[in-house]
Amino acid sequence: MLPILVENVVYRHINNGLLEKKHKFIDHLDRNEINDFIENSDDSTETYSQFTTLHSEFLVLSRSPVKSHQKKAVFTNEYRIIEGEENEYRILQYHFTYDNQGYQLEIGSSLDEVKDLTFIIKFFIITVFVVILFITFLADTFYIEYLLKPFYKIIDTKIRRVNEPEAFDHTPIKARSRDFRELDFVLNQMMDRIAELFKKEKQFISNVSHELLTPIALLKSKFENLLQNDSLDDNTFDKIAGSLRTLDMLKKIINNLLLISRIENNQYEANEDINFHEIINDLREDLEDRIEDREIQFLNKMQHDFSFRGNKTLIHILIYNLVTNALKYNKPHGTIEVADGFLENNYFISITDSGIGMNASQIENIFNRFARVSSDQEGQGLGLAIADSIASFHHIEIKVTSQINEGTTFMLLFPEAVKHN
Amino acid sequence: MNILIVEDNKELAVEVYDFLCNVGYVCKIAHNCSDALEEVGSNDYDAMLLDLGLPDGDGFEVLKTVRKTKSKIAVIVLTARGELDDRINGLHLGADDYLTKPFALTELSARLFAVIRRIHGFTLNNLSIHGFLLQLQDYKVSYDDMPINLTKKEFDIFQYLVLNKNRVITRLQLTEHIWGDILEVNSDSNFIDVHVRNLRKKLDKHTAIDWFETVRNVGYRINE
Repeated sequence: MLPILVENVVYRHINNGLLEKKHKFIDHLDRNEINDFIENSDDSTETYSQFTTLHSEFLVLSRSPVKSHQKKAVFTNEYRIIEGEENEYRILQYHFTYDNQGYQLEIGSSLDEVKDLTFIIKFFIITVFVVILFITFLADTFYIEYLLKPFYKIIDTKIRRVNEPEAFDHTPIKARSRDFRELDFVLNQMMDRIAELFKKEKQFISNVSHELLTPIALLKSKFENLLQNDSLDDNTFDKIAGSLRTLDMLKKIINNLLLISRIENNQYEANEDINFHEIINDLREDLEDRIEDREIQFLNKMQHDFSFRGNKTLIHILIYNLVTNALKYNKPHGTIEVADGFLENNYFISITDSGIGMNASQIENIFNRFARVSSDQEGQGLGLAIADSIASFHHIEIKVTSQINEGTTFMLLFPEAVKHN
Repeated sequence: MNILIVEDNKELAVEVYDFLCNVGYVCKIAHNCSDALEEVGSNDYDAMLLDLGLPDGDGFEVLKTVRKTKSKIAVIVLTARGELDDRINGLHLGADDYLTKPFALTELSARLFAVIRRIHGFTLNNLSIHGFLLQLQDYKVSYDDMPINLTKKEFDIFQYLVLNKNRVITRLQLTEHIWGDILEVNSDSNFIDVHVRNLRKKLDKHTAIDWFETVRNVGYRINE
């Protein structure tokens, strides 16, 4: 686009020059002059009557018959040989009549210089363009960066680093632009609303705990006191004992649901150093009776000392639930193996049982609340849902692999990088 | 022994009251913070059972005030689990023990016994029943000065039944006492039976133990 434009401008400029010369020539034209120019009347063409020494311009006048349809002035680009030197010229051809004699006037101007000039102009323009482009690019990058600084600060401090509303920083972000101040303000407002909801949920959980568990405590006390009555018949006695068991189940379900809610409501701190060996040994002791009862072999193959920060109680519950699960769904005389290791730099603890196993669709559902592999098993199916909540709270991934009738492996993949002695 | 029961649920307070009076404590009930503080200020109590969710304030505040003036009162906090976790660290500063609702009255009694013993520098008598002597300090049992070798669990079961003598203790209560308030719903645990059976065998070697009853497949009772 640009080179064409430059060419056009240049040609127009040359054309104007040529026309001006033509006017001057025609204005001063008289017979003598014509004769001067046409020295050899027989040889009408290819004679350059007048040219500048550097062959940059020439002027030719020749007789030619008058052609009526011919335009008066025509501009062409042509190659001409002047004194043995070939150059490209911009040529004005002009036909006119003088004393009833038709003449053709050709005025040429060399294009060599012009071409050089246009090249320089083009080069200059392109250079300037590139420079401007570069400067604009730099300016945009830095200036926009400067302009958007508050924006990125808002994203970083108000959104990315906020895991829970309590950790939210309410200090206004310094921003020149009103839009960012507005954005900051609206974000603060939104976080306030979320924080309010969080607080309400916390309050609700606390209220549920108190309001539901107090009546259960009352019922439990009453039933326990009733049991002491010697005049009870067998039937009543059993019914009261049964009610106590139901109450106990109710209490545990409520406590389990509250536990899940509180984990998901981030009400736990995760800042304790956890010793997995200790936890596994405690578990083994706690579950000793059940392990012996089912004559199950408990193999502790933990080898590494992995340091992990988290909530000790929760991690204990997590592993406890997986081990009791392995117990529950095991075969008599089966094995439970607890092992650890590293999988692509991630520490893992695996709990493998030799139990009944699960198929793919069962595995998909095991972490859902109130899901059970088989309906005749005891329990409420909350154990693995809790395990799942605790795991995600600590950014631990649980991987399950299972073979029907051969057993199941639960693998806990810990997030931190290698850290072992 | 004087016990102050601070609990806003009147019915529950009465149940606890009846139970503890039966055990032999002298009890009084307060339903809110101000009553509780007034009672503690005007009478000497050996122990206080404190519910945290009180109508006119936080039981925790009562605990703080009480701790400033009375050091020799044993405090057991009674609370629902959800309220507890937020403050567990704070509770440890002032409370001698805590029980989550719903608790077994027999468990409460056992804890109360332990806490009061601790406050009084373990000077209280050891427990004895039908010639068996339970040395609470070092988990030892003897009959006629002949030591009986019990496991920790067997000792705990024995002590719990003796502390709550003449009462039916269900398997559930025993299980919870031995293994704690586990979350897993495992309704009726038979593992406790194994330990009770072993305990009985060991006691039976020394004397007839017909006072150690199995009550209708529900629980156990030691009669005085």
